[in-house]
Amino acid sequence: MNDQHIIQRYLSDRIPERSGNTLVVRAEAHELTDLFRTLIDALPFISMFATDEYGSFSIRYVFGVPHENAFIVVLLPLSGTAFPSLAREFPCTALYERLCMTMFGLTAEGHPDPRTVTLHEENWPRDTYPMRTSFEWNTRVPMRGSGTYRFHEVSGEGIYEIPVGPVHAGIIEPGNFRFSVAGEEIIALEARLGWVHKGTEKLFEHLAMSQHPALAEHVSGDSSFAHSLAYCQAIEVLTGTAVPERARYLRTVFGELERLTMHLFDIGNICGNGTGFTFMATQGFRMTEELRRLSQRLAGNRFWRSINLPGGVTKDISADDARQLTTFLGALKEDFADMMNVADQSASLANRLQGTGTLSRVVAQENHATGVAARCVGIEKDVRVEYPYAAYDSLKPDVVTEQAGDVDARVKVRVREVYESIRLIVLALERLPRGPLATTIRTLPSKGMAVGLTESWRGEIAYAVITDDQGAIARVAVRDPSFVHWQLFPHMVGRDMVPDFPLINKSLNLSYTGNDL
Amino acid sequence: MYVLSFVLNAIVVSALSPLAVGLIRTLKARIQVRVGADPFQPYRDLSKLFRKDEVISEDASWIFTASPYIVFGTTLALAAGVPILSSALTFAPLSDMLVFVYMLAVGTFFLALSGIDAGSGFGGFGASREMTIAALTEGGLILSLAALALLTGSSMFLTMASVTMTLPLAKVLPLIIAAAAFFIALLAENARYPVDNPATHLELTMVHEAMLLEHSGKGLALMEWSASNKLLIFTAIFVNVFLPWGSPTSPGLAALFVGAIWFALKTLAVLAGIACIESGMAKFRIFRVPDLLFTSFVLSVIAIVLTV
Repeated sequence: MNDQHIIQRYLSDRIPERSGNTLVVRAEAHELTDLFRTLIDALPFISMFATDEYGSFSIRYVFGVPHENAFIVVLLPLSGTAFPSLAREFPCTALYERLCMTMFGLTAEGHPDPRTVTLHEENWPRDTYPMRTSFEWNTRVPMRGSGTYRFHEVSGEGIYEIPVGPVHAGIIEPGNFRFSVAGEEIIALEARLGWVHKGTEKLFEHLAMSQHPALAEHVSGDSSFAHSLAYCQAIEVLTGTAVPERARYLRTVFGELERLTMHLFDIGNICGNGTGFTFMATQGFRMTEELRRLSQRLAGNRFWRSINLPGGVTKDISADDARQLTTFLGALKEDFADMMNVADQSASLANRLQGTGTLSRVVAQENHATGVAARCVGIEKDVRVEYPYAAYDSLKPDVVTEQAGDVDARVKVRVREVYESIRLIVLALERLPRGPLATTIRTLPSKGMAVGLTESWRGEIAYAVITDDQGAIARVAVRDPSFVHWQLFPHMVGRDMVPDFPLINKSLNLSYTGNDL
Repeated sequence: MYVLSFVLNAIVVSALSPLAVGLIRTLKARIQVRVGADPFQPYRDLSKLFRKDEVISEDASWIFTASPYIVFGTTLALAAGVPILSSALTFAPLSDMLVFVYMLAVGTFFLALSGIDAGSGFGGFGASREMTIAALTEGGLILSLAALALLTGSSMFLTMASVTMTLPLAKVLPLIIAAAAFFIALLAENARYPVDNPATHLELTMVHEAMLLEHSGKGLALMEWSASNKLLIFTAIFVNVFLPWGSPTSPGLAALFVGAIWFALKTLAVLAGIACIESGMAKFRIFRVPDLLFTSFVLSVIAIVLTV
């Protein structure tokens, strides 16, 4: 399908403007809802974000066109600071709209829940909007509150509230949760995040381009590689740079190694720490550590960092290393199979995992869930297949799905993906072509836009990069899958009980820093 | 003699109980192919906590500050009535099984109260869970001891111990069933698997630990120490009253020495058993815990029926 077909099929009579891998179509406020409805019925919604060009704001809604490596972007220029809210009809936009309000000082008219996100009103002054161009990146914001946050209240006989966090007992990130419970059963759950807001998107606009991959790696340390790759891909599309074949294969290898690292960690963490079947934690963490050491050897750090740069990769895998890696993965596969053998025979473990934290397919679809959260309810969604990048178009990964949607299904998806990742790495190493590791990128076009999408172990990471009229990067909109998936929790814990929440939480293992940016 | 036995039992239990907890931890680590701390780590932890200052919630009343002493005190009283090194060395007035069960309840009551008293959400649900579990455990606990009382014709631990040793072979079956029922109660009362996870850091899943979250310094040290005392006392009843073989009945020094060795060996076996359970299975969901405790109850009833 070429552009013409995409336009005919999804945009009927509208004439979009092509930029990078995006087709940008302008819309007026009054026609937005209809256009959005037409698009979301046919295409997956990826992200929405606001931009500020020295006082003139606009909002962009990004939709993906699977198997075409193209994205349809609805551009809504604003005359003032108000835009129509779509949240009532399309709940998947609710949180994005709140973010636009908090960060840019815009107003989503008719939003059902206009409370701020990320910048907490207890200590953030009124009328201070850090993503506006007029806000200097190094402004010292005084600690001056402008109000208090009100959690939703549930009332009724015997209902009580448990406040949890933001500081937790373990070494984990901060998040504030409010449980309304009747006895041990959870009636409602509200998560208040934003405690690790770092101004990442603002820094993208300030830092030199050479520092961008490192910044992307620090959005969420557990998916460093996938983050920097998504950024690099957006830049490569924007500049029209063709990445050398060898770099494509190496990116696949490193990307799958990162997935392997975190899947092993998660399987150990869910089955071990989540349920108390400690054997799994010990073994899972041991294998994770082996991969961290592998990262240390191949990349010089433990978190698959400083590998990507726009135009290719910086780290090579020699023929010797490749042979060792294949042997290592063979041994790891057997090791892992042994561990899962023990897990499969434990009735007490199965009892804890099955039927816990059930996600319904409808909720996953409505919220446009991705990654493990989508695949555990049978939605065949995987960036590696839908928008093939690196060497995935020739390696053809199998998309693993389960149907049940409970914690058990999410563990099973991960377990099967571990085997699939090992298969892909070995295959990529076998076919590893010769050639350069990187090529120099051309200059950025002016007023361009491109979207970079990768499948991290957690789900779909989206980077939208926009350049200004001088061809400098004006906006990098980052969307970690955590931002989408946090909204699933209130729907997932409906019939569960309080002591199972940590287990359900681990089964998605969302990032706080990726959400708070 | 009474005073001597009281003091001796209290000292022996308090001195050895941290080692018992440490041994479980070390054994667990080894079973899970970890190195782990040595079994003496709990002593270091306790001495560290005793040297630390206490932070007490402004909302806490005298109950919160008094509870560690009361709870620790009850464990000392419990220790006095239980045959540890020798069944001859027990403090008879506290050796009755009903005194034991309700002395235990006093400790649990104050533990739960102190959990609620500080006003934190975690303490509240920890206490609520603890009381639910304690109420459900009581049936199995009392009836397993009652089965033993019927078997031996006495409700005193010291008499039970000496009679069980001379039981005819035909009566061993109800004894073993009652012992199994008691072992389940032991796990539940001491916050071990599959009822509670003593090693977790996840506040939302805690039972016993949730009640201790607000305690610090000396108060926490006493609470931790009480918990290990309780574990050793339950183990002592299990190995010296239900399975008293090897435990001496005369108070002589040589007999005491033999008794100490037997006690150590049998206790070690029980601790290893707990370590195996905690390494080999997942914790139960709290709603499945009643099933397990009901099993303990049913086993006790079977033991009683077989006896009568």
